[in-house]
Amino acid sequence: MQNADAIITDSSGEPKVNYLTNGSTIKSWLLTKDHKRIAIMYLVSVSAFFLMGGLYAAAIRLELLTPASDLMESGTYNKAFTQHGVLMIFFFLIPAIPAILGNFLLPIMIGAKDLALPRINLLSLYFYWIGGGLTLYALLQGGVDTGWTFYTPYSTTFSNTFVMAVGLGIFINGFSSILTGLNFIVTVHTMRAPGMTWFRLPLFVWAQYATSLVMILGTPVIAITVLMLAIERAVHIGIFDPAIGGDPILFQHLFWFYSHPAVYIMILPGMGVISELVSNFSRKKIFGYEFIAFSSIAIAVFGFLVWGHHMFVSGQSIYAGLVFSFLTMVVAVPSAIKMFNWTATLYKGSILWNTPLLYAVGFLGLFLIGGLTGLFLGSIGLTVHLTDTYFVVAHFHYVMVGGQVIAYLGGLHYWWPKMTGKMYSEFWGKISAMLVFVGFNLTFFPQFILGYQGMPRRYASYPEELQVLNIFSTAGASVLGVGLMMPVVYLVHSLFFGKPAGDNPWMLPGLEWRTSSPPPTENFETMPVVTWEAYEFGEENGLDTEEARRREAVSTVS
Amino acid sequence: MQTNSWVPLFPDQASSFAWQVDYLYFYLIIVSVAFTIPIVVAVFVFGIKYREKEKFATPEEMHGSILLETTWSIIPFVISMTIFLGGAIVYYNQYRLPDDGMEVYVVGKQWMWKLQHETGQREINELHVPVNRKVKLTMTTEDVLHDFSIPAFRTKADVVPGRYTYLWFEATKPGKYHLYCAEYCGLNHSGMGGYVYVMEQSDFDNWLSGNVSGQTPVEQGRDLFENKLGCASCHAGGPAQRGAKLEGIFNKEVKLVGGNTVIANEAYIRESILNPGGQIVEGFQPIMPTFKGQVTEEQIVSLVAYIKSLSGVQTGTTSAPPAANTNAAQPARASNANSAEQ
Amino acid sequence: MSSHASDKFVYHEPGLQHQFEDMKQQEESVSIGMWMFLVQEIMFFGGLFTVYLVFRSKYPMAFAAGSNHLDAFWGGLNTLVLIVSSLTMALTVYYAQKGNRNMQVVLILLTMFFGAVFLGVKAIEYTSKYEDGLVPVAGLNKKVKENPNAEHGAAQAKPCYEMGHGAEHTYINPRGEFQWVDCSLVKVAEKGGFLTPEEKIGYYSNGDIDADKFRDKVRIFYWIYFVMTGLHALHMIVGIGLMTWLLWTAWKGTYSHDYFAPVEMSGLYWHFVDIVWIFLFPLLYLLGRHFLH
Repeated sequence: MQNADAIITDSSGEPKVNYLTNGSTIKSWLLTKDHKRIAIMYLVSVSAFFLMGGLYAAAIRLELLTPASDLMESGTYNKAFTQHGVLMIFFFLIPAIPAILGNFLLPIMIGAKDLALPRINLLSLYFYWIGGGLTLYALLQGGVDTGWTFYTPYSTTFSNTFVMAVGLGIFINGFSSILTGLNFIVTVHTMRAPGMTWFRLPLFVWAQYATSLVMILGTPVIAITVLMLAIERAVHIGIFDPAIGGDPILFQHLFWFYSHPAVYIMILPGMGVISELVSNFSRKKIFGYEFIAFSSIAIAVFGFLVWGHHMFVSGQSIYAGLVFSFLTMVVAVPSAIKMFNWTATLYKGSILWNTPLLYAVGFLGLFLIGGLTGLFLGSIGLTVHLTDTYFVVAHFHYVMVGGQVIAYLGGLHYWWPKMTGKMYSEFWGKISAMLVFVGFNLTFFPQFILGYQGMPRRYASYPEELQVLNIFSTAGASVLGVGLMMPVVYLVHSLFFGKPAGDNPWMLPGLEWRTSSPPPTENFETMPVVTWEAYEFGEENGLDTEEARRREAVSTVS
Repeated sequence: MQTNSWVPLFPDQASSFAWQVDYLYFYLIIVSVAFTIPIVVAVFVFGIKYREKEKFATPEEMHGSILLETTWSIIPFVISMTIFLGGAIVYYNQYRLPDDGMEVYVVGKQWMWKLQHETGQREINELHVPVNRKVKLTMTTEDVLHDFSIPAFRTKADVVPGRYTYLWFEATKPGKYHLYCAEYCGLNHSGMGGYVYVMEQSDFDNWLSGNVSGQTPVEQGRDLFENKLGCASCHAGGPAQRGAKLEGIFNKEVKLVGGNTVIANEAYIRESILNPGGQIVEGFQPIMPTFKGQVTEEQIVSLVAYIKSLSGVQTGTTSAPPAANTNAAQPARASNANSAEQ
Repeated sequence: MSSHASDKFVYHEPGLQHQFEDMKQQEESVSIGMWMFLVQEIMFFGGLFTVYLVFRSKYPMAFAAGSNHLDAFWGGLNTLVLIVSSLTMALTVYYAQKGNRNMQVVLILLTMFFGAVFLGVKAIEYTSKYEDGLVPVAGLNKKVKENPNAEHGAAQAKPCYEMGHGAEHTYINPRGEFQWVDCSLVKVAEKGGFLTPEEKIGYYSNGDIDADKFRDKVRIFYWIYFVMTGLHALHMIVGIGLMTWLLWTAWKGTYSHDYFAPVEMSGLYWHFVDIVWIFLFPLLYLLGRHFLH
C-alpha cells in the first residue's frame, strides 16, 4: 500500500504544518477556502447558537415546573419557545452535522483536497452569519412570538413582534444550507479519489448526499415562503388573509412542503454518523451496506410526499388525510431497515465500548422510540387526539435531540482526535454520554404521557393534576443540561492538555484515518488510491495492526 | 372527573369513540414494545458477548443477507399497514358527522370560546352537554387559527377563519372534562380553555331551565329575520316575493342563475347573507343587500338555525326522546313568534 | 496552497483551481454545481408558481382582468428580445470554444444590449403601472391630487366603471393607492355563468359587483406580477453583472478550446432566466386575453 507508510510513520519528530497552524491571522481564517477551517468556524458559531437555544429551553422547563405561569408571563413564555425553536432548528439542527462534520470530513473521506467549490463554501458560512445576525438582532429588539411555524394569519396580521427580521434571517440562512448541499452533491460526484467508487463510499457520505438532495429541493421553497410572509407583513396584500380573499392554509402547505423534508435534513446526517460509529467500533463491515445507502435516498424522496400529515386536523379532506397517513407509514420502513442493519452489524464484531459507541447505542434506543412514536402520529385516527399535544413535543425531541444531537455528539467525539489532534478524557466522555442518555429520557419520556393526557403544546400554564410529570421532566432537563455542558469543558480542556491522539488512534480503515491528525491543508500528502471496500479491516488493507498494538502497549506503560 | 391517581397515565375515557382511540394506542404500544425489546436485548447481548477481547482484532467478515433484508423490510411494512388501517377506521368514525346530533355553535376568538346551544343558552369557555347524546359542533373563528380540543373525548379540530369546521362526540360518562385551545393563537393561548360538563339528562334539563337566559337560536333567528333585519319583507314566501322562499330548502339542492346547483347548507346560507350576489337562486334578481358588518357571527348562526327550522330540520332537542320534546316545544315558540309578527 | 505540493510536478493550466486534479474534473464540477443551482432556482420560482396557480384557480376573472391590462406588446417584445439574447449567448459559448476573442466580445456586448433592452422595457411597463395606480402597495403609485380631465366634477372613481382597454383613468388618487375600477369581466363571467364559488363570494356585496372587493383580488394578481417579474428582473441584473465580468475576461483573451467553463456556465444561467420568462409571459400576459374580444 503506497500510503500505508503515511499512516503510521509520524507522531514523533518535529510537528508538521497542519490546517490549524497554516496561517494564524484573522484574515487567514475569515478568507480561507479550506473546508476544515470553515468547519471549525461553523463549529464555534453553531455551538453558540446551541447554547442560546439551550438557555431558552432551560427557561421553558423552569416555567413549567409549576402549573401557573409565575416565572414568566405568557407573552414572555411564547417568545421563549418560539426562539428556542427558531434557534435550534434553523441555526443548530440543520447546519450541525452537514456544515460541521460534513464540511470537515466529506472531502477527506472521499480522498479530495477540498470541496469542489471552496469559495461557495465560505459564502455559505457568511450567509449563516448574516442570517444568524439578523435573527439575533430581532431577538435583542424584543423577539418573536409566533411559534417557529409562523402560522398565518397570526404571523401576518396579529403578532406585534419582529416577525419580518426573523423571517429574513431564516431566508438568508436558507441559502447557507442550499449552498452547502450544492457543494456536497458536486463534490461527491466529481471529487472522489481514484478507486473510490460509489459503493465504496462511507455511509456518512451517502447520508450527506441524500441530505443535500433535500436541501437543494426543499430549502428554496421555505425561502420563498418566508419571503412572502415578510412581504405580506409589510404591505398586507392578503394572500394569506381570508378577510381579503387569501388562504391561511396555503401557507401551511408551502411551509410544511419544506419543513417536513427539513426533518430529514436534521436526521439523515445523524443516521450517517451512526452507520460510521456502529461499523467502526465493532470493527466489522456494516451489515447490508446497499440497503442502508438506498434507504437514505428513499427517505429523502418519500420525505417530500408526506407534508400533509402535519395538517390532519386543519380541515383537509378525508382523502388527503388518508393518503398522507398511508405515505407516512411507508416512509417508516426505510428507517426500520437501517435500525435492523445497525443491530445486525454488532453481531460477531469486536466491540469497543468507548464514548462514541456509547452515543451510538444511545442513539439506537432513542431513535427507536422516536421513530415508533412517529407511527402513533402517522396513524390518522390516533393523531386527532395526539396532535398539538406534548406527545408531539416528546416525539420530535426524541428524533431531533435523541437522534440528531446525540449522533452529532457521537460524531464530534469520534472525529475530535482527527480535527484537533488531541484526545479527550475517555472517562468524562463516558460519564457525559450516560448523563445525556438518562437525562434525556427523564426529560422527554414523561411528556409522552402528558401528551396522551391531552396537555397542549405551547402552554405557559397547565392544569394542576399534570404537575407531577412536569416536575419529572424539568428534573430530567437539569441532568440533560449538565450532560450537555460537560463536553464543552473536557473537549476544550483537551485542546490544551489532551494527549496527542496520533493519526489513527483506533486503527480504522476510513480515508480520514489515513492522513495525519490534524490533517494538512490539502488533506493528503499524496493522492490516495482506494483499493478496499468501505469498512474493511485487516492488514491487507494497509492497517498495520501489529505495529499499532505494539505502540499501544508502549504508551500504556509510559 | 379526572382520575386522582398520583401520576395520571390516561385521561378519562368519556366519549363513544374514546375506546377505539385507546385500543389503537394500546396496539401501537404493543407493537413498539415488540420492536424495542428484541433490539435493545440484541444490542446489549451482542455488546457484551462480542466486546473487544483483543486490541484491533479483525473479526470474521460477514456479508449481508438478502433474505434477512427482505424479511425485515416486509414485516415492518405489513405491520405499518395494519396501523394505517386501524387509524383509518377510527378516523372514519370520527370524521363522519351524525345526522341527528344536538347542535352547538362555537366561535373562537383571542382568547375565549363562545358557545351557543340551539336552545339559546350562551356559554363562554364552558360547555354543558347531556350524556349519551350525539353533539355536533359547528365552529368558526373571528381572528386567528384556534383548535377545539377535548382530550377526554379524544377529539379535536382546527378552527379556521372564513370557514366552518365541524366536530362531533357522544359523551358516555358524566363529569367535568378539560377543554383546550390546541392551536397556538397568541398571548393568552394557554388561558383559552375551560371545561366540558357532561350531565345526566335530567340534570341537563335542570341546567337548561335554570339557565335559559333569553331566546333559543331559532327564536333569535326569527326575531332577526322578521323584525331586526327585515328579511321577511322579501323572503316571507308569497308568490310575488322578490326573495327566494326559504321553507324546506335546507340541505336541498338549489338551482342557481347560470345553471349551477348548490346544496343549501350552513355555509351556503352564511355566504348568501354576507355575499348575496355570489350565488343567486334561479328566477331571482341580484338585489339583496349584503349584511356583512351588520350581523355578528353569532347572529348568523341564529339565522341559520331559524332557516333550518323552516325546513323542519329538528336537529336535536333539549331532552332524551327527541321527537316528544320538540313537538311540545316548537309549536309553542312558533305561536309566540307569530303573534309578534308585523 | 499546500506547503507540501512542492515535491510534485505542478503545471499550470489557465484557471485550474488548487482542489482539482485536472481541467476535466473542474469543468465537470462547475457544470454539476451550476445545474444544481438551477434546480434550486426552479424550486424557488416553483413556490411562486404554486401561489399563482392557487389564486388563479380561485379568482380567474380577476386574473384575466389584471392580465388584460398588461401590455402584451411590450411583453411580446421582451420575449423576442430574450430569445434573441439566448441566441447571442449560445453563439458566445461557441466562439469561446473556438477561442475567437473578437466574436466573443461582440456577442457578449450584444447579449448585454438585449438584456438592457429587456430591463428598459420592464422599466417602461413598471412606470405605466405606477401612473395607472396599479402598484399593489399603497403610497408607491403616482399621487394624483386633482383629476385633469374631470368632467363636471365627477372626480371620484365610480364603482365598476366600465371602460375600454387602455382608456384614461378618470379618478383622483391623492395617496397613491392601488386603483382598479373596471369590473366588466365579472359581468361577462356572470352572464356566461362561469364564476367560481370563491368568485361568487369574492366579488360581490349587496347583490352588486363590489368594486372594492374585486380590486382586492386584482391586487393579488398585481402582487404576484410584481413579485415574479421583479425577482426575474433581479436575476437579469445579476446576469448582466455576469456578462460584464465575462466581457472583461473575454477581452483579455482568457477563453479557449481548453478553458471556457465560465462562459458556458454564465450561458446556462442566462438561458435559465430566459426560460423563466418564457413561462411568465403567457401566464401573466396572455391567459385570459380572449375576453378582450
